[in-house]
Amino acid sequence: MAGIVVEPIVCGRPVRSLDRAPLADVRGDLLGEVGMVPRLMAVGAVTRARRTADGTPVGHDLLLRAAELFATADLDGETPEEYERRVALAAGLPRVTVRHAVADIVRSLTHLPATTRAELPASRLGDGYETAWVPAGRLFAAVMASNHPAPNDSWLHALALGYSVLVRPGTREPFTARRLTLALLAAGLAEHRISFLPGERAVGEYLLEAADRGIVYGGGDAVRRWADSATVTTRGPGRSRVLLDRPVTAEVLDHLTVSAAYDGGTRCNNISLVLTTGDPRQVADALAARFDALASPEVTASDATLPVVDATRAEGLRRQLAGLTTGATVHTAAGADPLVRLPDGSHRPLPTVLSTDDPRHPAVGVELPFPFVVVAPWRRADGVAALGDALVLNLVTDDVDLRAAAVADPSVRKVTCGLTLPWDSTPGIPHEGNLSLFLLQSKGVVSTGTRDHALA
Amino acid sequence: MDTMTTALAQDRAETFDERVRRLLHWHFDPQTGSAFWLRQRGLLDFDPLRDIDGAADLVRFPDLTEQLRHVPVGDLIPRGLTGTGFRVYESGGTSGAPKRIVDRDYRRRLLSWAMQRLRAHHIADPAHWLHLGPSGPHVFAYDCARYAALGNGMFHTVDFDPRWVKKLVAAGETDMVKRYVRHLLDQAAEVLRSQPVKVLSTTPPLIEAICADPELHAAVERSVETIIWAGTSFSPESLRQVEEVFFPDTTIVGIYGNTLMGVAPQRPRRPDDRHLCVFEPYAEAVWIDVVDEHGAVVDYGQRGRVRLSLVSEEMFLPNVIERDTAVRVEPAGDATVDGLAEVGTVAEVGDVRVIEGVY
Repeated sequence: MAGIVVEPIVCGRPVRSLDRAPLADVRGDLLGEVGMVPRLMAVGAVTRARRTADGTPVGHDLLLRAAELFATADLDGETPEEYERRVALAAGLPRVTVRHAVADIVRSLTHLPATTRAELPASRLGDGYETAWVPAGRLFAAVMASNHPAPNDSWLHALALGYSVLVRPGTREPFTARRLTLALLAAGLAEHRISFLPGERAVGEYLLEAADRGIVYGGGDAVRRWADSATVTTRGPGRSRVLLDRPVTAEVLDHLTVSAAYDGGTRCNNISLVLTTGDPRQVADALAARFDALASPEVTASDATLPVVDATRAEGLRRQLAGLTTGATVHTAAGADPLVRLPDGSHRPLPTVLSTDDPRHPAVGVELPFPFVVVAPWRRADGVAALGDALVLNLVTDDVDLRAAAVADPSVRKVTCGLTLPWDSTPGIPHEGNLSLFLLQSKGVVSTGTRDHALA
Repeated sequence: MDTMTTALAQDRAETFDERVRRLLHWHFDPQTGSAFWLRQRGLLDFDPLRDIDGAADLVRFPDLTEQLRHVPVGDLIPRGLTGTGFRVYESGGTSGAPKRIVDRDYRRRLLSWAMQRLRAHHIADPAHWLHLGPSGPHVFAYDCARYAALGNGMFHTVDFDPRWVKKLVAAGETDMVKRYVRHLLDQAAEVLRSQPVKVLSTTPPLIEAICADPELHAAVERSVETIIWAGTSFSPESLRQVEEVFFPDTTIVGIYGNTLMGVAPQRPRRPDDRHLCVFEPYAEAVWIDVVDEHGAVVDYGQRGRVRLSLVSEEMFLPNVIERDTAVRVEPAGDATVDGLAEVGTVAEVGDVRVIEGVY
């Protein structure tokens, strides 16, 4: 069959699966086919990985070589350009977003030692006293989504710290996890350390059950089961938001537009809610005017900036938007189709701004995979609780008390102040918690010998 | 008992069409038919005795199996079959009331035939069986008990209520499901610890659970020579994993079937087979077509929906549209009927997922 063939990689070795699934692109064309991993193949992969896992950290040199190969090499016949094209077509992501993601992953690998150092408390505690940070288990499972390639850096982190890794890639976009796997192997990673297991959702659930630590990305439906798990950390909808407590200047509008629309609104830290102390309609009108200026060619074009979806997802979004806009004001250009059918057969969700006077409107807190922002009112009497449940809370305010309250709120995972973009970070700044602490356990190592006070 | 063959010459087997005509007279005769079918007769827009000439005409009947969820089972017993000894079996019962059938002798004949088919895979005789599968109202355990008896073996069972598991799954009680599966595996391990079991009858999900438990897997590998699987399906790669990776020295035999129609064991593999597992139905009493959405039989090698008719003295179930799909396979060897491969369930249609978050 023509097209791309994606096969599983079990403990470093490609295997051919008899279970085949077509891989369609956003235009409705057949992009290729995927050899699917049934549960039993995953069971075999886990058994083999567990037998051979040794907990050895992966050297940084190897990771840097893998990063270089991932970004530049021809891997199993896939050039960087072809990789970019495949992700664009499979996930509907603008090519520039894929390039950003590649740069993000390379940067993340480059900074990994610094990140880990910054995430762990000091461990030398005086002469003969030391805290060792060691992997809390041997197997790490990663269940990825298809919205953006960058989150694949989480399992690279686990690998670096000593885990053997089993990755179930996103259903629509298996290419990033596959390319990273190939890059790692080409860089010399021991085969038993990595398995790439495209499969149905149940396979991901099994991997998370079977591994010692795991991460799962996805909508509320995908992550709910693991919300209270001690061994699985979840990355669900970010619901990142801005508290806007300043006049709406051009500079503020620039900030809001980039926060919402960078990478086509596909990142979990793109904002989807503006809570304003001013008039929601006025803010929404001004933001909508900026959104109206966002234009983008088909997703395969090198200058595309907005994502597209296939016909099925388009239909789902159309219905969902129709439900969400009840009782809210839509600020997009009059008569604009919320899902534009492009000549290539894909559908582009129209960047959309809604406003409501009701902070409890059902659209408040909804995150969608394109530039989509709801503007709602916030009054000081509503308190900081109304700002919470957010991956990132951006405080555009001069109120220092509010800042302290937001930092103290456990449902806010990151606070950015002023016109700071939601993803601004440096090694050690938690994205959603501290991954090193999740992956490692601390252990006292004391080598003081027999000292006279010991039995005194 | 097949008592109605008097009209046939002794030296040739009855064709399926002849059987249909003969048994329609039986089921629609006020002296011999069941209350269920005699009531239906007036509701049909055709005359089953005049207008039905054979298997191909059975599609004129409506699929009445929904009524099996509530009809008193006594109404299903043909009046011509006097006496007692009928058993009641129930379908899975996942959604609403289960479908019920009655059986006295039909299944024994069917199972004798099926055991011959299983023997073609070289099952040890005598062989003790362990049935790690549903029992209670479900017919699977009865079938396997019969195979064990025909194979001169003892029959071990476990307590297994699949309806409870389905309720747990529907309620998202994942951890409870795991504990229940563990409970099932523990019961099996207990039997295997002391009993020389050579045949294990079970379901694909439980085979997967066994494979994920290295200790139990080793115990099964040590003693069991044949694994019979039924109840749900294996994907082609899953079956390959079972045969080649997890149980390379064990004979693996699948049985397709359900409460209504009976069983269709896997036939021995042939060199030119394109599927690892091809099921062959019981040609004497069951007619199966693999059909497209318009009801037309699909070509060989194509997938379609399973449509079946059961024509026996005890039950008449015409034109049943199953939830299963299968690939239609050409008859092989001395078989007279099509085989079925890669059985799967019809995917839920019109189910557009709500998009949540950026995923």
